[in-house]
Amino acid sequence: MAAVCARALRDREVCFIGLGTGGRAFVLAVAIPILACRLAQRTHAPHLVPMLGPIIDADLDAVPDCVTDYNLITWPCSAQISGPSSLEMFTRGKIDVGFVSGAQVDRYGNLNIVAIGEYTRPRVRLVGPLAQPEHMAQAGRTIIVADHTPRVFVERVDYVSGAGFLEGGDARARAGLRGGGPALVVTPLAVLDFQTPDKHMRLVSVHPGVSVDRVRAQTGFVLDTPASVPETPPPTEEELRWLRATDPEGRLLGARIT
Amino acid sequence: MGDRVASLREAVASIPDGSVVALGGSILRRHPMALVHELVRQGKRDLVLLGWNNALDVDLLVAAGCVRRVETSYVGLYVHGLAPNFRRAVEQGRVEVVEWSETSAQDRFKAGASGLTFYPSKVLLGSDLHRRNPQVREVTCPFTGERYAAVPAATPDVALVHMHYSDRRGNVGLLPRRVTDNEVDILIAKSARRAIVSVEQIVSDEYVREHAHDTVLPSPFVAAVVEAPFGAHPCACDRFYDYDLDHVALYKEHAASDEAFQEYLDRFVRSTRTHEEYLGRVGLRHLLRLRRPNPLVG
Repeated sequence: MAAVCARALRDREVCFIGLGTGGRAFVLAVAIPILACRLAQRTHAPHLVPMLGPIIDADLDAVPDCVTDYNLITWPCSAQISGPSSLEMFTRGKIDVGFVSGAQVDRYGNLNIVAIGEYTRPRVRLVGPLAQPEHMAQAGRTIIVADHTPRVFVERVDYVSGAGFLEGGDARARAGLRGGGPALVVTPLAVLDFQTPDKHMRLVSVHPGVSVDRVRAQTGFVLDTPASVPETPPPTEEELRWLRATDPEGRLLGARIT
Repeated sequence: MGDRVASLREAVASIPDGSVVALGGSILRRHPMALVHELVRQGKRDLVLLGWNNALDVDLLVAAGCVRRVETSYVGLYVHGLAPNFRRAVEQGRVEVVEWSETSAQDRFKAGASGLTFYPSKVLLGSDLHRRNPQVREVTCPFTGERYAAVPAATPDVALVHMHYSDRRGNVGLLPRRVTDNEVDILIAKSARRAIVSVEQIVSDEYVREHAHDTVLPSPFVAAVVEAPFGAHPCACDRFYDYDLDHVALYKEHAASDEAFQEYLDRFVRSTRTHEEYLGRVGLRHLLRLRRPNPLVG
């Protein structure tokens, strides 16, 4: 997944990754993006600028053992700006690409990290919208990293905390959103995008060893599937070497950075 | 200007039931926990809590039955996951929630702190934070005709924030090398009709004068100052001490059910009459282990 994400990043871009959370959410929203950024920097995007919350251009070879304040304040980087200043970079249009995740993702790439079920009396109350609204509204484009199950991939999210393509078509532009919207979806099973006339999600490739039927069965809506679905190119030897160099003990992928 | 130092009890006694209370801090950093505990001790009710990113400050107040409504972008326990009391209360319809994004929550405090009545926002458009929140209106830029969401200024009755030091007259300062997310605390304090600030230490007037550039809340903004070392515990406080993740784990264990959590409240909050007694309950050796390795480095 990290290799696929890395390939989607371009040189000299500013790439936003959130900080915080734990467990599986950390792996999807933070660990895989960090690995993707470092891999991109080592291969085709040496001048990629990662932003980890308010920490700009952190040394991704020096990810701290645990995210205590002390370790964050002393993490080698180019700049640690104020919280409000880092959020302003979204509105200012300085974030070219950002990684997002969600408990629910729908056909048009809208995300939900607020509540599952009826919003006013939810089955599961989650943490809240955080900075996902600004992220999805303003970033040049977003890359969605999520688990692939029918509970995650739903026809319509129960609450829109992050605007994807809304109802599809030109709904984003009509709503006045400046950012380009989600460009890619990367899951443990497949790669998907929104390059369809009305911006609904479609299958791009399935990972080695995964069948198209399995991906469709794990998607909670009817998934637009091309007649012939290629296999996701697996990580090359070089990519694997760089990934292992960044996370040799699997601390990031094991969510042991806590 | 006068002496603005108050005891924890006096400062919190001035907060009526039903108040709109803004809480500083973010994630597990620098929430005003000593002040929060005192709200519970004094049995405050029907509070509306405003923040931009909250944790066990909100979770604990909700569990203690003090809260009518919560408005923030996040209530959770950081690496320890969801905030269990808050989550149960929302799922059972016992507390109202209004969602704000980090930016729009901060924009509300910016507007309040500047004496403006609203703030224009581009970040809420399209999401349910706009469509399902009657507090958010739409406006058009008078110069370009562009669509904006307008968010109302936050003007809380009282703000509770935890900072580093203050003189007795209420000139509050922050040591320069600090986690930068909590700059929002300055806006939170300034947006309120009254700001009650807890500090790690009361310092001399001379210290403040010699470090005037580090004063972030001059005394006209500060209604009362309370000296509370480890006043953010179990949250971190910049160069002073880190998160107490062991205590947060203990908190989370008790928060597995409403009944078990009342035990936590009884043990740490209700049976401790002062902040010092709370710290004694946590344990001195334990607290000392939280201190930063090298205060010169931060």
